[in-house]
Amino acid sequence: MSDWHVHVFTSTYAADVSGVCSAMYELGGMTVLHDPSGCNSTYTTHDEPRWYDSDSQMFVSGLDELTAVYGDDNVVVDNVTRAAKALNPRFITLCGASIPHIIAFDFKGVARLIEEKTGLPVLPVPTDGLRLYTSGVGLAQRAFLRRFGVHSAEKRKGAVNLLGVTPIDFSRQEIVDAMKEALTARGYTVNACFSMGDSFEKLTKASEAEVNVVVSSAGFLPAKYLQAKYHMPYVVGTPIGKKMGDALSDAISKAMGTGENVSAVSPAEEDSADLLIIGEEVLSKSLARAIALETGERCRVLFPDPDEGIDEDRLLSMIGKARTVIADPLYRPAVETQGATLIPLPHEGYSGRIYRALIPVFCGDGFDISAFLLGGCS
Amino acid sequence: MTPGYHEMKDMPFTYNADDGLLYSSPCRGVWNIVHYGLLVPEGHQIYVCPTSCLRGVVLTTAEMGAMDHLSTITVGEDNILNGDMEEELLHGTEKILNTLKKRPRMVMIFTSCIHHFLAVNYQRVYKLLRKEYPDIDFIDCYMDPIMRRKIPADPSLRRQILRVLKKAPKDPKRCSFVGNCFPMNEYCDIYQHLVSNGIAISDLTTMKNYDEFRLMETSSVNFTFHRKADWAGKDLEIRLQQRWVSLHNGYDYDRIDADMERASESMGIPAPREEEIRRQRELTDRALDHCREALAGTPVSLDYTAVENPLELALFLIERGFHVESVLIDSIVESKEVFEALQKRAPHLKVYSSLDPSMRQVLRSHEGKIVAIGQKSAYFNDTDYFVNLTENAGMYGYRGIRRLMALVEEAAAKKKPMRDLVQHKGWHAGPSFEDLCEMERRREAGNV
Repeated sequence: MSDWHVHVFTSTYAADVSGVCSAMYELGGMTVLHDPSGCNSTYTTHDEPRWYDSDSQMFVSGLDELTAVYGDDNVVVDNVTRAAKALNPRFITLCGASIPHIIAFDFKGVARLIEEKTGLPVLPVPTDGLRLYTSGVGLAQRAFLRRFGVHSAEKRKGAVNLLGVTPIDFSRQEIVDAMKEALTARGYTVNACFSMGDSFEKLTKASEAEVNVVVSSAGFLPAKYLQAKYHMPYVVGTPIGKKMGDALSDAISKAMGTGENVSAVSPAEEDSADLLIIGEEVLSKSLARAIALETGERCRVLFPDPDEGIDEDRLLSMIGKARTVIADPLYRPAVETQGATLIPLPHEGYSGRIYRALIPVFCGDGFDISAFLLGGCS
Repeated sequence: MTPGYHEMKDMPFTYNADDGLLYSSPCRGVWNIVHYGLLVPEGHQIYVCPTSCLRGVVLTTAEMGAMDHLSTITVGEDNILNGDMEEELLHGTEKILNTLKKRPRMVMIFTSCIHHFLAVNYQRVYKLLRKEYPDIDFIDCYMDPIMRRKIPADPSLRRQILRVLKKAPKDPKRCSFVGNCFPMNEYCDIYQHLVSNGIAISDLTTMKNYDEFRLMETSSVNFTFHRKADWAGKDLEIRLQQRWVSLHNGYDYDRIDADMERASESMGIPAPREEEIRRQRELTDRALDHCREALAGTPVSLDYTAVENPLELALFLIERGFHVESVLIDSIVESKEVFEALQKRAPHLKVYSSLDPSMRQVLRSHEGKIVAIGQKSAYFNDTDYFVNLTENAGMYGYRGIRRLMALVEEAAAKKKPMRDLVQHKGWHAGPSFEDLCEMERRREAGNV
């Protein structure tokens, strides 16, 4: 019987709490993960490539049994206040894992109490440790925009925001830079990149852009927020290779002209396709479109559900129908069991840091799709 | 390192850094429960947790290239709402066991914090599983950091793994080393002494198959070298009436001799003779002198991830003329006698906590050369001159001290790529990233 909970031999995707920490990492704040411990070192070890070389503030609250049973929120309030006074962050983000979730921890109320004590803005991001990173990144970016977003009456002509950008999907800054370059080369200006490589101030001015580009599924939530708040349309797609860059550019142009949302990616299901892509939704669908445009080959896409990840039985069934699979190397045993060939494309959100050195610069015009299909990441 | 420290004279004996927000440094050499569980030959681990907790254990395993020894059951919102944790655990385990290509002999099932709070009756599930799979030993294990103040997961696991051992006739010529991560042999006095007196030793770290593991139930005595192993030693003594001898992994010569005598008495063999003790002491003194001269006054920093008793080591080295500048600890594990002696001897010794949030922004550097013993002291002093080890690395007694001195000398003479080494998860537990990437390149090349 199929059961998404059970993973006999496959890995698991990064969790929502890592998504929050990752999205806030470069913005000068302090992120507090309300949890006993463990989630913090998981994030710093496997989901955060910037940890060693910077001093961004991310801590765990060290919730213990008695504090949870008594519901004594003063402990976290006092501890965060003490640390904030010592380290003087620009703002504080408060997220949490499964125990705060089941004891109905009041993120908003506690954030308010900490705010009163520290005088600093405190952003409650009610994660539960049960969902995937895309959910956490989205919630964090929306929380940032809600609190710090500044309304701009004037739009910057040709300006776009990139939403859903963290190292969990994009690994290194050079990959993000290549993505930006793909847009600037086509006449657009990147107004704000949420949240790699741009300053706090830049991100507050998101509403100056004409269009938001959702480059990973983590970007959907902030995109929908910005649409509701500032009537900004969004485009879905990542510039992977030259032709996909052109397709995305056309979509942005259309959205700017019509004010409507536009998708530049392929649909997930192409039943007769021999090529299967496994990975994050928007990136995988963008790669599928890029392959279709460059080689004419159609692809199917299997991506994790934010609540359930990837069902192992469905995974095997879909691999079983494919001849070639583009996926993280940790999927290799599943691919080889089914007699298919793997083209490895490492993903930090799945295998963490293990294959980081093999992640190619997959964004931008310089990414050669045909060569990749022949040689993978070697 | 810039401020963020306390001077030894100002430290309270009750000090514990697990009080407030906690910082996680990039140093990852210390073993976690996954590493330890993987020592069990023919074992399989199943973690039952929310995604956020699973991620760490799964990638620990993946980094060891051991994914065929671990499976997971993700706790979802639906399980919380439906109250079907027991059913999920039962059916999930059945599915895993029915899918695995090779039947494990032992299955360690790790439940998590959330199971305590939802009062999950997992013992009932294990009972059903034991009935359904009589050829498999099922062990209840715990990854529940919310209980860390009462029942820390690591010592709990070292005990739980041995819960499968049954009462059996004792072999007077067999003993076990219990709860250590690394083989206790070449640099361990007790090992040498027992072996030379014809005693067989069972040590989980060197076992090849499950039958060898089960042989531990015939041991007459269990020796432990770490506090984390105390629960295991005590549990076996109560359940199986195997004598438990806890050995102090320290630096006091008289205490080492007393431990050796106790150990010998427990196995009914003669204790080391006086001339042998004298020889060992002389060799060790010489090694210490040699190391001190080689360092030529170079300061030393050490931390609790490297050795079992960091303050005792600091005191020992200072008494031997070494310049110990700083110590990183998160609690005080030594006796009050050692603590007070160190306060008296080195009142200005710098004591850092690696967990304190202020350590995130401490200036990680050191003016001039410093030699570190342990990953955390190396990281915070930003020195490539360091001894890379964790949890005493199989060292005990005079041989252990001499080995440590040799490693310090070696560290002082030759740089190591600290940045890469300290980030590797589980010291000596698996291949490096470079190896894994190279393996992947080769596999891919085979496909092209």
